[in-house]
Amino acid sequence: MTEASSFQVLGRPLPRREDYRLLTGSGCYLDDLEIPGALHACFVRSPHAHARIRAIVTEAAREAPGVVAVVTGRDLAEWTMPLRMAPPIEGLQPTETATLPQDKVRFQGDLVACVVARDRYFAEDAAELVEVDYEELPAVTSIDAALAAGAALVDEALPSNLVAHQHAVHGDPQARFERAHRVVEARFAQARQTHVPIETRGCAAVWDEGRQHLTFHVGTQVPHPLRTQLAARLKLKESQVSVISPDVGGGFGQKIALYREELTVAALARQLKRPIRWREDRMENLIAASHAREDVVRTRTAVTAEGTLLGLELEIREDFGAYCFFPANYLARVVAMILTGPYRIQDYAYDIKVALTNKCGAGPMRAPMAITSWVMEGTMDAIARALGLDPAEVRRRNMLKSADLPYEMPTGERLEDVTPAETLEAALQAIGYDGFRSRQTEARQSGRHLGIGICTVVESTTYGSAFYKAAGIPGSGHESAWVRIEPSGAVNASAGTMSTGQGYETAFAQAVAEGLGVDPAEVTIQLGSTDISPYGMGNRGSRGATAAGGVLYLAACAARDKALAIAAHRLGLNSTESLRLRAGVVEREIGGEWEASDLTLAGLARVAYLDPLSLPEGMEPGFEVHRAYDPPPMTYSNATHVCEVELDPETGLVQILRYVVAEDCGTVLHPQLVEGQQHGAVAMGIGGALYEGLVFDAQGQILTATLGDYLVPTACEVPVIEIVPMHTPNRRTPAGIKGMAEGGVMGALGAVGNAVNDALAAFAVTAERQPFTPDLIRGLARQGRQDG
Amino acid sequence: MAKVAITLQVNGESHEVLLEPRKLLSDALREELRLTGTHVGCEHGVCGACTVLLDGRPVRSCLLFAVQVEGQEVTTIEGLRRNGLTPLQRALHEEHGLQCGFCTPGIVLTFEAWLRDHPEPSEAEIRNALSGNLCRCTGYQNIVRAIAKAAAEGRT
Repeated sequence: MTEASSFQVLGRPLPRREDYRLLTGSGCYLDDLEIPGALHACFVRSPHAHARIRAIVTEAAREAPGVVAVVTGRDLAEWTMPLRMAPPIEGLQPTETATLPQDKVRFQGDLVACVVARDRYFAEDAAELVEVDYEELPAVTSIDAALAAGAALVDEALPSNLVAHQHAVHGDPQARFERAHRVVEARFAQARQTHVPIETRGCAAVWDEGRQHLTFHVGTQVPHPLRTQLAARLKLKESQVSVISPDVGGGFGQKIALYREELTVAALARQLKRPIRWREDRMENLIAASHAREDVVRTRTAVTAEGTLLGLELEIREDFGAYCFFPANYLARVVAMILTGPYRIQDYAYDIKVALTNKCGAGPMRAPMAITSWVMEGTMDAIARALGLDPAEVRRRNMLKSADLPYEMPTGERLEDVTPAETLEAALQAIGYDGFRSRQTEARQSGRHLGIGICTVVESTTYGSAFYKAAGIPGSGHESAWVRIEPSGAVNASAGTMSTGQGYETAFAQAVAEGLGVDPAEVTIQLGSTDISPYGMGNRGSRGATAAGGVLYLAACAARDKALAIAAHRLGLNSTESLRLRAGVVEREIGGEWEASDLTLAGLARVAYLDPLSLPEGMEPGFEVHRAYDPPPMTYSNATHVCEVELDPETGLVQILRYVVAEDCGTVLHPQLVEGQQHGAVAMGIGGALYEGLVFDAQGQILTATLGDYLVPTACEVPVIEIVPMHTPNRRTPAGIKGMAEGGVMGALGAVGNAVNDALAAFAVTAERQPFTPDLIRGLARQGRQDG
Repeated sequence: MAKVAITLQVNGESHEVLLEPRKLLSDALREELRLTGTHVGCEHGVCGACTVLLDGRPVRSCLLFAVQVEGQEVTTIEGLRRNGLTPLQRALHEEHGLQCGFCTPGIVLTFEAWLRDHPEPSEAEIRNALSGNLCRCTGYQNIVRAIAKAAAEGRT
């Protein structure tokens, strides 16, 4: 932390700017916007997982009270362009998705028609009156069924349901397996999950017929990329569309894609020339927004008798659902690219198959690569169990030390400025690992079953353009910002990203204040409007701090340079070397001491705007800076999670007794916000490990369509999370920022998963499919007892 | 459905409104009275985001029709505004007990009432009471800490 401590503003827990409005109910979320005369949309959704649409009868709905319009896929096909997902990636099938389906529906909850009425109650009433004649088709509800010969085609334009298949071999794993002391196999699976932001999706579209301009209000993580998509699919110029995001009630990856409902609402506003709004209910959110994580994974490792890794094979099978709103290889491919994480290994092969099924389309959910760490760390535990070694010892034997860095992973990913071995030791010490086995033995004598789980995470946080290119994913990793010093000296700044609760207005003000040399209270951050913010890639991955915080810091540094150049000119100095800006005052170094001058940022701004002839020769009048920044190919944070659980073999209940995270996420903008992200991410990981799963029956009917059935953790399920901060800066990024916020999910899936399996080892069984529900655990314990 | 005229008593003020008997209290507060601090998260009584006080007791406004609460006093998050932040709101701010803020008004109202009945709560009691409010951002830890802090301040 030596470098970090030289910062004036970064790293301070300043009061969060957003809080006052949110605590007092004066925040403004999508549904709080007052839009005079707005009509309400409601969608007619398919009750079947897979069915041909024979006919849609809308007359009764059109005549219902308050109804203004009822439209179907045929109308939308005239008004909008389909979504073509066809990046040139080997093994990826191109797909095309209509705005609303015309011929068949592909999952329960798929769209069939849209009703527009005077209010939401009328719209829902009328949606009930739309009669659809369906011919049911066989539903494909699992990866195996999707890939079986003769399976019904989910997308009839494709030759099979295998939408992506990728395979790579690095080094010579085959040779390693032939010479191994032992080959260890392990399996991992995750249930389908969903994001559950407490604010569901929604939007409001206002078409200005006079200006031929669409203003689209939507809670989104990515205002500019959404505008690009929306304009193209409405056949409008990008200058005819403004996207404005109000406060967002949580995103977690669900508020990135342009959804078909949103496009429909925008198209209808334009056609009807009336404002239209839509907010989905919770059932729609659970069944039809976006799903994630349904993976089945297998690893094979070649190891020595001492547990040294020689070779590794990974197989991923992913259920992507019915439609591709993202390239189908995207999520699984990142898992494969970073799987080996903190370990020294070069001989590695992976095989990824992604299948279409009759379920809601999948997308990124906080840590799209979430399963990575459980797979790698569960594999390390499987090796330890197979060889009768201590799991911590197996990790130590293979883990990269600082002397090994920079290290090129077999996939070419470059690791540097990470500290996995340090976080491992710190986390083990914090939880008292050395004493655990005796505690475990003692507890067992009194009939209690304890387990401990370790999970070291190397978290890919900030994707630079070079990573996208290497992964074959279209996209840029850059972010852009402007900083404006107004004539009064007030500082306004903006970046292209949008906050969904992270506290960007606070943390980014710190980045600007640090770069510029002003009190953070003087800085205002403006986010969420494509008319105000520069084009940026938005809030996804864990890129906020490094990409947006970083570019704001760089823009602020450039503004500081201009301020100091003006100051040097006024002071008659040839250079700015002996000048600095602190709390908005120019300071001058005289005889090794910094002394305040009588020049202030406000005074310099007045010169820049009102007396430009007094500026240094050649300097532009005004005081605005714009910068764009493309981060390194990939920025990594790292952490080790260790947790202790107790399980009750009679009821299957798992309780988390202690939970420790030792984390290195580089220069911290705001420690309290970072801690909040760690808590939230761990909670989501605990949900995935123990509780959350979307359940479907054999016909593809979803059985978890309420929050009483789809179980997100409550305050009773999330333990106190003890955090050991061990931050070291990244040498390649502005201010040494690394980014974070998804690793907690990765770590919790792995630490909880491994801890439960450590406790189950007494029964000689292994749980392989999360969530580890009471039924599953009790069943495994019984099976173990019978077998034993 | 024919509309009916009712009087809603909200945050100490009387409002005459004309609405359908099927209109939810949450929708009436938000749409008729423009009190949009009451957030709607699930409309089936699980998430707790829409919690308001009815004669001082927390209720889920998505599970009540507006016509059911005539004659009772409704307090929404806006009703707490009069004297700046309450000790609980201040503690949530200081302890970083909110992120996106969507669930926050429901939590504030639930615990304004609960702390009156439980002035010296244990952490386990706080967590148990908080389990009726879902938060997807914070992992609850700082909310629990803030509630404990507000309780401690209430005792001094």
